[in-house]
Amino acid sequence: MSDTVTFKIKRQNTAESSPYWENFVIPYIPNSNVISCLMDIQTKPENSKGEKVTPVVWESNCLEEVCGSCTMVINGKVHQACSALIDKLEKPITLEPMSKFPVIRDLIVDRSRMFEALKKVQAWVTADGYHDLGPGDRESQSIQEVAYKLSECMTCGCCVEACPQYTQKNNFLGAAAISQARLFNMHHTGKNITDERLDTLMQEGGISDCGNAQNCVEVCPKSIPLTESIAEIGRQVSGKILRNIFKA
Amino acid sequence: MHSHFLLRRIHSLTGVVPVGLFLVYHLYLQLYLHYGAEIYNNEVNSFYDSPLATWALVIVVYIPLLFHSLLGVLLVFENKIQPSYTYFSHLLYWLQRISGIGVLLFIIAHVWNAKLGPWIAGTWGTHFEHLSSGFADPETGMLTKTVYLLGVLGAVFHFANGLNTFCMTWGIALTPTSQKRVRSFSILVFIILTASAFYALAAIW
Repeated sequence: MSDTVTFKIKRQNTAESSPYWENFVIPYIPNSNVISCLMDIQTKPENSKGEKVTPVVWESNCLEEVCGSCTMVINGKVHQACSALIDKLEKPITLEPMSKFPVIRDLIVDRSRMFEALKKVQAWVTADGYHDLGPGDRESQSIQEVAYKLSECMTCGCCVEACPQYTQKNNFLGAAAISQARLFNMHHTGKNITDERLDTLMQEGGISDCGNAQNCVEVCPKSIPLTESIAEIGRQVSGKILRNIFKA
Repeated sequence: MHSHFLLRRIHSLTGVVPVGLFLVYHLYLQLYLHYGAEIYNNEVNSFYDSPLATWALVIVVYIPLLFHSLLGVLLVFENKIQPSYTYFSHLLYWLQRISGIGVLLFIIAHVWNAKLGPWIAGTWGTHFEHLSSGFADPETGMLTKTVYLLGVLGAVFHFANGLNTFCMTWGIALTPTSQKRVRSFSILVFIILTASAFYALAAIW
């Protein structure tokens, strides 16, 4: 094992400036991850040519793969930097910001499009007041099992980064939002606005923009059955088409 | 309902119901190549010259096919190439698009060669002779054979894989297990149709 690790990082100074590649060589530490290596670079921001440069910036929070904020493209594949272990990665390690969102600086991107998508599909339970509504309905065990898995989504962006149909030019909502629509359509109170969610998903950028490449389910760090969610929303939408046709 | 959504759903439906089923019937007809010129010509003519055939072909095949092709061409160019994600389904996703374009070009050549050409030349009706002489041509025969082989292979793949994605799009196959079953079924369809089509072509090879 070599005693240094080389990082090839795609950097960008401002949202408008053009990106450039910079190499960094840091001492190898067993069991380190991409975040701890970025911290090492930050303590001594010197590129491989020995030039003093601005430290590489990134976003991170939980450091245990539940918040999703450190999502970036590592060796060409999207992953959380905190759970990307150096010992398991091919060297040199390339780091890039996600390509589907506008870059703010270096490895930080603006993922607000994902939040907007959640708002569009109304991924919440509607409550029309602050008064006590009493206890909710009991969920069956079988629904709980599905819903729990879906609720693990951290809106990290892996699914849409790997999706060939999700580009910066279109307005596809993406697998995460479709899956959340499914989650709230199966909730006792959430399903009150199922029709509104399906209406949104039947517009441009909705379910019909899925191209069945199925990369989303492959890269999801939480192993959420995203293609099942897409098929389930597809089924709900098919039902709605039939109901609309035969409705007076 | 939004037209964007509706057009894509119709695209998915037309690929399977009229166009896909026509492909199956079309490949079935070709098996008569093994019965010689007279029977083959009779079978093909009785289909194309039946009173309903022209209108049925326009409504059930030509219009849906044209719609499916035009929208399909537009859909091919609305995505991002991401070669680092080397998953089987992702490969199928691209093969579906590449085969779609290839099959469209093949169909244009095929309609010209097997339908419009003979019509203009006044040799319509002698399908067997037309096909076999095209295949036997010492100069262009090899090219024709290759184009037919690739065209048929592409069409069968596009249909079989389309069945697979159709079941996901319309929510017929929900769980990963049922999606696996549908994929196995579509692979079976691909094998059977390819075998049938190649066996038919072998009659005049």
